Amino acid sequence: MPASSDTALHELLQHPAIWRGRSTARGATLSTGFPRLDEALPGGGWPRTGCIELLTPRWGVGELRLLMPTLAQLSQLVPARWLAWIAPPFEPYAPALLEQGVAIERQLVVRASKPLWAMEQALGSGACAAALAWLPSERSRGLARRLRRLQLAAERGQGLGFLFCEHASARESSPAALRLWVEPIEQGVRLRLLKSRGGLRSPFELRWTDATQ
Amino acid sequence: MPRNNRVTSARWLDAGRQGRAATHPPQAAPLVAPVPPIVPAPPESQPGIDAAQLWLALHLPALLLEAVAKVGDPPLAVIDTDRGVQRVVAMTAAARTQGIQRGLGVSAALALLADLVLRPRDLRREQQLLIQVATAALDFSPRVSLEPPDGVLLEIKGSLQLFGGLAALSHALQQRCAAEGATARIGVAPNPLAALAGARTARSFSVTSEAQLVARLAPLPLLALRWPDVTLDRLGSMGVRTLGELLRLPRAGFAKRFGRSQLVMLDRLVGKLSEPRQIFRPKERFRGRCEPSFEISDHGTILRYLQPLLAQLERFLRQRQCALTALHCRFWHRRADAVPARFTPLRLALAAPEWSAERFAALLGAHLERLVLPAPVIRCELRSGELLPFALSSSSLWQLGEHGGAQGPEAPALIERLRARLGSAAVYGLCLVPEHRPEHAWSVREPATTLATTADAARAVTPPVDGYLRRPLWLLQQAQPLPDASRLQLLEGPERIESGWWDGRDIARDYYLARDRHGTELWVYRQRLAPHAWFLHGVFG
Repeated sequence: MPASSDTALHELLQHPAIWRGRSTARGATLSTGFPRLDEALPGGGWPRTGCIELLTPRWGVGELRLLMPTLAQLSQLVPARWLAWIAPPFEPYAPALLEQGVAIERQLVVRASKPLWAMEQALGSGACAAALAWLPSERSRGLARRLRRLQLAAERGQGLGFLFCEHASARESSPAALRLWVEPIEQGVRLRLLKSRGGLRSPFELRWTDATQ
Repeated sequence: MPRNNRVTSARWLDAGRQGRAATHPPQAAPLVAPVPPIVPAPPESQPGIDAAQLWLALHLPALLLEAVAKVGDPPLAVIDTDRGVQRVVAMTAAARTQGIQRGLGVSAALALLADLVLRPRDLRREQQLLIQVATAALDFSPRVSLEPPDGVLLEIKGSLQLFGGLAALSHALQQRCAAEGATARIGVAPNPLAALAGARTARSFSVTSEAQLVARLAPLPLLALRWPDVTLDRLGSMGVRTLGELLRLPRAGFAKRFGRSQLVMLDRLVGKLSEPRQIFRPKERFRGRCEPSFEISDHGTILRYLQPLLAQLERFLRQRQCALTALHCRFWHRRADAVPARFTPLRLALAAPEWSAERFAALLGAHLERLVLPAPVIRCELRSGELLPFALSSSSLWQLGEHGGAQGPEAPALIERLRARLGSAAVYGLCLVPEHRPEHAWSVREPATTLATTADAARAVTPPVDGYLRRPLWLLQQAQPLPDASRLQLLEGPERIESGWWDGRDIARDYYLARDRHGTELWVYRQRLAPHAWFLHGVFG
């Protein structure tokens, strides 16, 4: 095939109305800080707005470490917006956040008995660049309906929502844009995209040392 | 009543002057109508107002009628049961010309005019209309007071400048009352009672100066005071027919015959005593309804009938600086066997607080299209959900997130909203404390509402020294004892932290980075002192 027709075809395929398997999510994205993960995700990173569900066997298996480059990036953005921690299982430890390059003064911790409500408020207000919420499995019932509201709130407030759930809730369907299955391995995590618009299907492993600084 | 009780001298005002002399320098008593001022009256835009307060009374003379019907063509009368007999209490002009009068029995009225429409009196609706008028009056002054059953008072001294003078304000008020469906007569005076008396009985009563008040009140009939019939009869038999004549009675004798409370009222009327008024606070839910004169089954028409209600709703919300996230509608149907429900409900849930009528209408339109009505609608009702405080602000040129639009008032608003629900201790920010003891190296602080755009603190990471372990992202609020520490796999460490001897909470610990059998990385320590117990202090997350 001559080169000119190849570029013409390429240009044609860039048209936003054309839907092609993996290349669907062409919205703005945010690098995750891990090249492997960026590659696997549709559009080459986290979506700029919306809700992302992270399913873990327990708290503390590396799901937070996975987000550190993202949070560091978000906390350097202008204009300054908060990063909200909603119903975290332990105290976010400021010295460690600082080590990871996350701006301490932009953190907002919310101790809520209804994390989803608080998350909706945080995301919808537009005052938060991202909101992280931890949802014990007994609270994740009827999540699908609430998640749709969260999704709308995130779009309204131009924020990114990270929802941490337990593995058990993978059985329920979810309207989240992205669902990740997280498992611990030595010095990293094993990830599987349970749901994504054109992302990689097979599980893959991330090492902490892979992170781009 | 003996003839010699009639008093013709101006003792009332003499007494009044004595009372006043204690606090004020003697003034020219307005014994007679004041001499016209030599200087011509200033134009309306700068009214010569020397009163401390200026009260405007709205008197609704046709309230009884307007509460039950739109004033239209067919001759109509409102009837009320008085001691077991139904009598006419109000009628339209058309009915009056046909000879219908107040106090006429029903049969007599019907005999006079066969096609007279009779309506029972609706007290609840009257009250509602009065409150509606008072609510509208809040657009003109924050100090509005109700005078049931048919009066509303406004303190307007502060509003005159804004509305461009008394005439313009009165006109605008009358227009607003008309829009609410009530005819209003206006009286203006330096005190509430005089304004009311004026509005009730005079065609145009506007007194802006204390000095003129008594003279202007004098010709008004006694009816203006709404005293009991017995009192008025007694005064009538004394030959007292106007307020002027009443004010000329001697104080002591008047108090003895008619009671102190009436005397106090007279003192208030002439402004010698101030009258405390209860300020009207509108209730915090909006409720409105409209009854079209025919049955509607068309969605577009329903929406058209809802428009004025939505406009009312918008005004209601704007006055309170509030917004809604829920709006309830009810569409009532005529009672029929085929229709099981009396009304069809429609609930509008909004994601963001909203106040604009236009937007409500757009949303309602979209919802109505999907709504299946089992029968034609005879009445529409609108009720607001919870009112949320909503600060109207000028919108920025850039949308949020576009070109880095600045962080607006959302940030404090978010904190307030979260704290309102969760308590103030549940929402906090973080800060660093220069401290070696891990649990004291951070602290809770008030969330910063103005965020620095460049995070300098994040840059100032101390370079790791030898033996320094990285810190866990999670810290346990209280270190937990680890009974089976032997099953942990120690990865790094130890890092010795020994500090805090100065405040009695000194620690001596060896910290390790460990992994448990599930693969979770933990931050554990072993006490240096006996019994050398192991504790879990953090999770790397």
